[in-house]
Amino acid sequence: MIELRGIFKSYSNRPVLKGIDLEVEQGQVVVIIGPSGSGKTTLLRTINFLAPADRGLIRIGEIQVDATKAHKADIMAIRRSTAMVFQSFNLFVNKTALENVMEGPLVVRKLPKGEAREMSLHYMERVGLAGKEDSYPNQLSGGQQQRVGIARALAMEPKAILFDEPTSSLDPELVGEVLAVMKSIAAEGMTMLVVTHEMSFARDVAHHTIFMDQGQIVEQGSPQQLFSNPQEERTQRFLANFLDRRV
Amino acid sequence: MRIYKVPVLRHIVGFYTSFIRGTPLLVQIYLAYYGLPLMLKALEASYGWRFDISGIPAIYYVYVAYSINTGAYLTETIRGAIEAVDIGQFEAAQSIGMTSQQMYLRIILPQAFLVALPNLGNTIISLIKDTSLAFSVTVIELIAQAKLTAARNLRFFEVYIAAAAIYWLTCIVLEHIVRLAERYAKRKRGLA
Repeated sequence: MIELRGIFKSYSNRPVLKGIDLEVEQGQVVVIIGPSGSGKTTLLRTINFLAPADRGLIRIGEIQVDATKAHKADIMAIRRSTAMVFQSFNLFVNKTALENVMEGPLVVRKLPKGEAREMSLHYMERVGLAGKEDSYPNQLSGGQQQRVGIARALAMEPKAILFDEPTSSLDPELVGEVLAVMKSIAAEGMTMLVVTHEMSFARDVAHHTIFMDQGQIVEQGSPQQLFSNPQEERTQRFLANFLDRRV
Repeated sequence: MRIYKVPVLRHIVGFYTSFIRGTPLLVQIYLAYYGLPLMLKALEASYGWRFDISGIPAIYYVYVAYSINTGAYLTETIRGAIEAVDIGQFEAAQSIGMTSQQMYLRIILPQAFLVALPNLGNTIISLIKDTSLAFSVTVIELIAQAKLTAARNLRFFEVYIAAAAIYWLTCIVLEHIVRLAERYAKRKRGLA
């Protein structure tokens, strides 16, 4: 479903991604972990061209784009077949929760208004926010905002959803409600690529786990393999450090 | 235009805002009043168009000068307001596949407008007060009328007080309208 080949990216001569290859099968949940600055978020953003890669091949379903010669139409096609959930939610602040969810179906997918509305109401309910349709983002808690963010992504009916540290800016007691929604859409077979520091989510939900450091994939495998029996010294150090801090 | 950095346009717009903001409005009015007829004459000569240039009332030149002047200030106000919109709003709009036009019309400009409102209000108020400069090219506006009246009845102080009151009242009404607009825009995003 998602395929990345040889993704390179630098910010003003500082390499951030040094040749990433990655594949996500349809219906798979792939979790990327790694220290800050390892390039996880940038990798996610090269997929939908929020941060265009310097070179590399990006494929989403049947759409295949060479980053060096990406046309506007390719970029649009890729963006329309993916959706992103952001660390800082990025809900449209001038729109109500329902309008946020409706923007995609109505404006981008050009569905008739009635249909777009019905679908959006369905997804609001799906993330457990029936009754909050008319609230503006600043009237919602962080957890509620992020669930609207997930509903907005779902309403695009994308081939895959990219999650960029979706719980990192939430109060600890609000993390659970967002993870619960993510688990339930994973269970329904949505293809998901998730950058997170939530190791328990990775362990419980991921089909495949990737550890990144310094712009490269250091190690990957099933969560059991990666968490209980990491092969690389760098992975061991990261996990040990992480588990220490968690106690 | 300054945000998108379109190569040629950017320099033209940069020159325009810099020139207008760096020269007094009075000079711009003179330039319009004395310069535009010359330009029209040149057009007449090269294209064989027929204008009755001497028949164009001075007020039209003043309109042109004010429009160009206000345009420059508004450009900067709106540019600043767009830059004040959180980058995350742009990214979210792009991530769901909006075109630039959809993004600006539906997400960015409505938010930028709220940021720009106080400045827009100030610009309009300055414009109202700057109308007093139009007399310099023979347009009889409020101050000119006051001068003429005072010259006739010699009650300079009373006449100017009256003129000041008219300016002030106009501006108070405008301020009020801007405040109402602001409150409306804030309510529209659940801020009030």
